[in-house]
Amino acid sequence: MGTNELLLLVTIPVGIGLINIILPNILKKILTFGGLAYLLSLTIQLYSKANLSLSYKMIFALDQLSWLTVAFIQLLGLIILIYSLKSMDEVNERSYFVLFPLTLAFCNGAVLSANSIVLMIFWGLSGISLYLFGVMGRSESASQSARKTFLIVGGSDVFLILGFVLLRFINTNSGWALWNSEVSFNANFSYLAFFSILIAAFAKAGGFPLHTWVPDFSKDAPVEGVAFLPASLDKLLGIYLLARMVMSLFILHIYLQMMLLTLGALTVIFAVMMALLQHNGKKLLGYHAVSQVGYMIMGVGLGGMLAANGQVAAGGIIAFIGGLFHLLNNTIYKTSLFLIMGSVEKKAGTCDLDKLGGLGTKMPITFMFAMISALAISGIPPFNGFYSKWLIYQGIINVLKDLSVGFQIWGLLCLILAIFGSALTLASFMKFLHAIFLGKRQAIHNNITEAPTFQLIANGILAIICVIFGIVAIRIPIMKLINPVLNIKPEWSIAAPTLFGTYFPELFSFLVILPFILGLIVFLILIKKKRVRMDTNYIGGQEPVEKFRISGTGFYNEIRDMAPLKFFYMWADKKFFDIYDILRGISLFFAKLFKALHTGQLQFYCLWILIGMMVLLKIVK
Amino acid sequence: MIGKQILYLLVFPGLLFTCVLGLLIGWLDRKVSASFQFRVGPPIFQNFNDIFKLLGKEVILIKDTNITVFALAPIAAFSVMVFLSMSIGLVLFYGLGFGGDIIVMMYLFMFFSVAIIIGGSASGNVLSSLGAGREIKLLLADELAFILICLIPIIKSGYLLGLNEIVIAQSDGAFIGSISGFIGFLVGLLCIQAKMTLPPFHIPEAETELAEGPLMEYSGPLLALWKICQHMMWVIFPFFLIILFFGGFNLVGIGILWAILKYVLIIVLMIIIKNTNPRIQIDTALKFFWRYASPLALIGIILAVLGV
Repeated sequence: MGTNELLLLVTIPVGIGLINIILPNILKKILTFGGLAYLLSLTIQLYSKANLSLSYKMIFALDQLSWLTVAFIQLLGLIILIYSLKSMDEVNERSYFVLFPLTLAFCNGAVLSANSIVLMIFWGLSGISLYLFGVMGRSESASQSARKTFLIVGGSDVFLILGFVLLRFINTNSGWALWNSEVSFNANFSYLAFFSILIAAFAKAGGFPLHTWVPDFSKDAPVEGVAFLPASLDKLLGIYLLARMVMSLFILHIYLQMMLLTLGALTVIFAVMMALLQHNGKKLLGYHAVSQVGYMIMGVGLGGMLAANGQVAAGGIIAFIGGLFHLLNNTIYKTSLFLIMGSVEKKAGTCDLDKLGGLGTKMPITFMFAMISALAISGIPPFNGFYSKWLIYQGIINVLKDLSVGFQIWGLLCLILAIFGSALTLASFMKFLHAIFLGKRQAIHNNITEAPTFQLIANGILAIICVIFGIVAIRIPIMKLINPVLNIKPEWSIAAPTLFGTYFPELFSFLVILPFILGLIVFLILIKKKRVRMDTNYIGGQEPVEKFRISGTGFYNEIRDMAPLKFFYMWADKKFFDIYDILRGISLFFAKLFKALHTGQLQFYCLWILIGMMVLLKIVK
Repeated sequence: MIGKQILYLLVFPGLLFTCVLGLLIGWLDRKVSASFQFRVGPPIFQNFNDIFKLLGKEVILIKDTNITVFALAPIAAFSVMVFLSMSIGLVLFYGLGFGGDIIVMMYLFMFFSVAIIIGGSASGNVLSSLGAGREIKLLLADELAFILICLIPIIKSGYLLGLNEIVIAQSDGAFIGSISGFIGFLVGLLCIQAKMTLPPFHIPEAETELAEGPLMEYSGPLLALWKICQHMMWVIFPFFLIILFFGGFNLVGIGILWAILKYVLIIVLMIIIKNTNPRIQIDTALKFFWRYASPLALIGIILAVLGV
């Protein structure tokens, strides 16, 4: 191999980004599209070489896990690019086409890096581009949301650095390398290192309690940026780091794994409870972007769980596969949902769910894609979201079999929260579909037309992947994409999977489509014989006036008003659970304290200097 | 192989068997309910007549609404119901479990609500939208308790997921014989009452205030499909409970009588609950399931883990 392909994955997008600064509009789009298409084909060619050691191994290296992540970064990048070819105004477009390839390069760099220093650099850079996408938003609170995002994500980078530095000193043999570190938890500071890196992964992916930037960012940033970073690339990066931690950096023990399971379940349930009551479509999707991470954390965190006989438990491996599969699925349908919301917003001029409704007749194709993605995220068979959730559940159930009674109850509680979270997700998306596409349309929206072709193509590709990944789940995504990842740890791939439950998506689809076609034929025969009459709505003889419209946003008011949940929602409104606001309160308190010391009089400053000197002398001795 | 599966799907234990049995049970329901109210009740084939009559009626569609979604929703619900009836019937009558395990069933049961919400609210009728909102809230109310009671047999069988494996695990004593199993059955009975939107949980349809809610604008063959689905549920849900807690059917000799008794017991209990309770409000239903039924089922789970 002459040139190093891995280097190309970083340098080409950087080059495109820099050239785009001076290129005219149309050339910019052609160049970016061509470059991304080339990168995708390059990544596909790398599939069989995923375990080759390439030159530059000090900086970049590739194994199956990073191949999977990089492949999805290119794929989603290309799809989102197709969408944004004709979706933005000129001012945003100018900066977007510079930022977009650069972000792609940073993310590729972070995933491909062979040692932690390179990882930290690219990780930080991708955080900055997240901020820059945030400030492209037009709403009043956009800059505030972007700042909040930057503080949480950027602040977590400090922990990332701390974690890797500690790791370097705990395990001196492996140096800064990201492979085969495998720290077990008997060394000093190993817990601190673990939690520091975990904080970085959680902040990036949006895990509880560091998730609070995702909904705000989703509400205010332009939808292309939201679909690009928090919905897909940040999820890929965050869960990639978590998977790397579980597989290579640490050897987890059962309490840590149960803790990850609990954090995952809490992420699912907290976020989805908040999503139920949102009135802004993008914010609702933002909360779901958080809640889906919970499933991934649950699944990936259980990887490498030991069975009673000291071997790697097969249940843990299945959950791990399910977690990674859920990551891929989530990036697909969540990107699709954000892009659909964007299409609707651009046509209707708002994403306030109270003001939409009944657009299904005007945007039928978009509605169909929205329905597929909504059913996929709610885990309705045979779509892809169901298969990955199902894998995670059966992994958990199988792991619990070998544990003691206390762990069993603990694990079951997490499992119940996760399954119920999925019912709540369904409920939330019924509200979403109802409020946008179903029900009665307002007169002001009568002139809306279908979304532009480029947007339909992007959404169509995503919807098709949702269906394909659901129906041939085992043959393509599991066997071809995710199972090779287990080869990184030989003992994991030995324990890997014989499925415990029963679900054959292909057979299921066949046996459901058959009666569907049968019913359709019978129906068509019947209505051909009989006349079909068109009529207006009948509401007990009354005129269907505007004030009787039900938008669907009020569906869950009863839940908000229920006694224990009432307080939870009240506190959430006051931002008691928002780590950003908590930390901001603390730092403001200290700021106030220090402000009182600034009296403006020289003698006081001399006094402070003297006290400082004394403290220093005391410490140094 | 495929031919055999299609036979399972369309004749026995799938479509034909479940429809006929469901419509007959519907008659039983109407007859018993009539005797509660000192009426005579309909003749045995009344439900068949009703369905055939509906199939022959004209279809009324709503102008300027999403007609495709409106028409396809009942057909989709129907096809999932047919699949469910096949896979649950196969476990009971043949001991075959290839239809799907408990988790698959749990998720598929939700599909009927999805179809009814999307189809109903596609009509653009305000009363249908109100009914759809109640339908999804009712789903949320009973789903938590339903998940909990589905886990009880999983735990008691030693963490097995397949429906046929759970039946086999009960070969030396059905789960209902234990305290946790009994709690599970009791809560499960209430859950399926709510999942079938039978009184006292007929909140989404609420004839007197919402005029059938989501089904309001449906007519002719499409309404007939919804009605068939509802009748098929009279078979699917009790059979599901029989698998989870009564140890399935043993169809030899006296076992046939036991099988019929198990089924009739659940049906009679459901009809009694249906006829002795008035419709409750949706927030009462939420409170009932979240504050009382679910904690009770959770106690059942803890008892099951402890082996009681």
